[in-house]
Amino acid sequence: MSILDIFLQQLINGLTIGMIYALIALGYTMVYGIAQLINFAHGEVFMVGAYLGLLFYTIFNQTALASWIIAPTFLATMIATALLGYLIERCAYRPLRNAPRLAPLIAAIGISFLLQNAVMLIAGPTDKSFPSILTIQKYTFSHVTVTNLQILITVVSIGLMTGLHFFVKHTKIGKAMRALADDRQAASLMGIDVNFVIAVAFIIGSALAGAGGLMFGAYYNTINFHDGYLAGMKAFTAAVLGGIGNIPGAMIGGVLLGVLEGLAAGYISSQWKNVFAFLILILILLFRPTGLFGARVVKKV
Amino acid sequence: MKTAPIWFFVCALVLSACGSSSDSNSKIKIGCAAPLTGDQAQIGIDMCNGVELALLQANDFAQQAAVSGVAPLQFEISRQDDQHNPAQAVNVAKKFVSDPAVLAVVGHFNSSCTKPSSAVYNSAGLTQITPASTNPELSRQGFSTFFRTAATDEVQGPKGAIFAVKKLGIKKIFVIDDKTTYGKGLADEFEKKARELGAEILGHEGITQGDKDFTPLLTKIKPLEPELIYYGGIYPEGSLLLRQTRALDMKAGFMGGDGIATLTFSELATQAIAEGTYATMVGGDMHQVPAAASFIRDYESKYGTLGQWSAYGYDSANVFVETIRKAATKDRAAVLKTIREIPKFQGITGDIVFDEKGDNQNQFIGIFQFQSGKLHYVGPAD
Repeated sequence: MSILDIFLQQLINGLTIGMIYALIALGYTMVYGIAQLINFAHGEVFMVGAYLGLLFYTIFNQTALASWIIAPTFLATMIATALLGYLIERCAYRPLRNAPRLAPLIAAIGISFLLQNAVMLIAGPTDKSFPSILTIQKYTFSHVTVTNLQILITVVSIGLMTGLHFFVKHTKIGKAMRALADDRQAASLMGIDVNFVIAVAFIIGSALAGAGGLMFGAYYNTINFHDGYLAGMKAFTAAVLGGIGNIPGAMIGGVLLGVLEGLAAGYISSQWKNVFAFLILILILLFRPTGLFGARVVKKV
Repeated sequence: MKTAPIWFFVCALVLSACGSSSDSNSKIKIGCAAPLTGDQAQIGIDMCNGVELALLQANDFAQQAAVSGVAPLQFEISRQDDQHNPAQAVNVAKKFVSDPAVLAVVGHFNSSCTKPSSAVYNSAGLTQITPASTNPELSRQGFSTFFRTAATDEVQGPKGAIFAVKKLGIKKIFVIDDKTTYGKGLADEFEKKARELGAEILGHEGITQGDKDFTPLLTKIKPLEPELIYYGGIYPEGSLLLRQTRALDMKAGFMGGDGIATLTFSELATQAIAEGTYATMVGGDMHQVPAAASFIRDYESKYGTLGQWSAYGYDSANVFVETIRKAATKDRAAVLKTIREIPKFQGITGDIVFDEKGDNQNQFIGIFQFQSGKLHYVGPAD
């Protein structure tokens, strides 16, 4: 393997996990942009997505769907996590809409503990083995290996992100979301249903996190009830990196963080892998708090 | 009106405190501290089940003996979860210390938890036996309350190296550890001996517990073409490391210590990928020890499949049962005094003879290999 091959291999590895970070980061950024709330339970929604993905995969595997299993598993997982996201918003955040800013933040931490412990009690505390959702095929181009799973993760992620982009830019609800992000009061005076639009942001964000969780489980093959914490923190870093509240920023921030982290672990030291990710967060907060591409909302952080 | 719920809560607390203190008068509690939740839970549950079985059998025995006039001592397990987190381990230790019914503690599992908690036990004069923590530093702290039945990493690491280099004839090795007291200690000892025996150590890197993605590190290792990857750590990361090694088309063999010598390793790595992986273990195959046959039968009828650590928890608890019976008082100081007076304990994992530091003089290391989803006993390491 030449130096270039190793570099390309590290780049591909980083891109794959970066795609998953980007999917989770979108949930953070959309909710922050619209409701000015950092939803720290979002990492947990991602983790629940991984468990639900395993559940649906196991169920569908015994039915006639077995040959087309990937699509229905994704769909069912995303619908289920979307529902979970809606429930969280409805039960934990909506009653606190006009409360001091600290209250929903603490509610988020509470929901996060609740979900973690609920999954631990239901699914058990030990790691669960995640079956291969497709037969792994390796494509090797002069020592650089790409698997069909990595391609699937990339294609699904880009597809979902493109879909979101068009949704926000070209639909009525998307327009309402952007209006709300600009000025909530003015938007509600124009007749936009604030609660409905915030709920939609939670639903979409959670569905994306669910898809991310499913792919995370399929890629690493083991899942655990505390996986949401680290992945959530990394995705939050990615959202801040791209500029929190900025949707394209979160996509690029996620991919960038995955690649930077992978390269740092590969070329400097794997012991310091997580340190690099959070060093990026600190540096961004110190020198460019609005992120690389500018946050939509900079007031009242 | 607003204060009413608070008062209700306070009253409930007081009541529950009264309830628990009056209940604990009759029974002797043996603490069992290990990770009981989280990714290492299986190991901890296996160990504490062994402890519980020993205590239940002691109670049955006591009931029979009571008829013939011997004072019946009733034992009870107090399971506490240290979440393989050193800070939580200290909390657990303080909990045990503050409960006067706890006369001895079996635990902890992880060396990184045993180390800080051993100081707490020592200051309270509470005797501790760890069936599993293998870091050599633990017995060098000068704590008279510290005992262990497991062989240390100073024995396990080098014996693993002897097996790999001499018996398997491996020349190029890459060493990885999980940066914990246990993992790094074991990997360092392995590396030292392997180097001494003439093997080439291509590198030594650390990973983080709880991390999932080791491909950047493995991609770096791949062009070095090691014949063996030695891993000092526990199975959750170990199984992923092995899976990702194979996903990168690396053919290197895989070997680890007692932390991966559990069937969960092969479940998580999948049977096909785990095939051929070697693990050193403090002890041999329990199924081949005649003295353990009735233990295995009792254990499996109560808890299901025998865990890799169950027998060690069982033996440690039995050391306490024997000690407390001999001391015949419910007193921590008497337990500590008596455990040093008994020259030899007969356990199912072998004889347990404590030296002055509290280490077991019987330090046997066995080699196991994963074969079609089972841990197959290969033989002694040297």
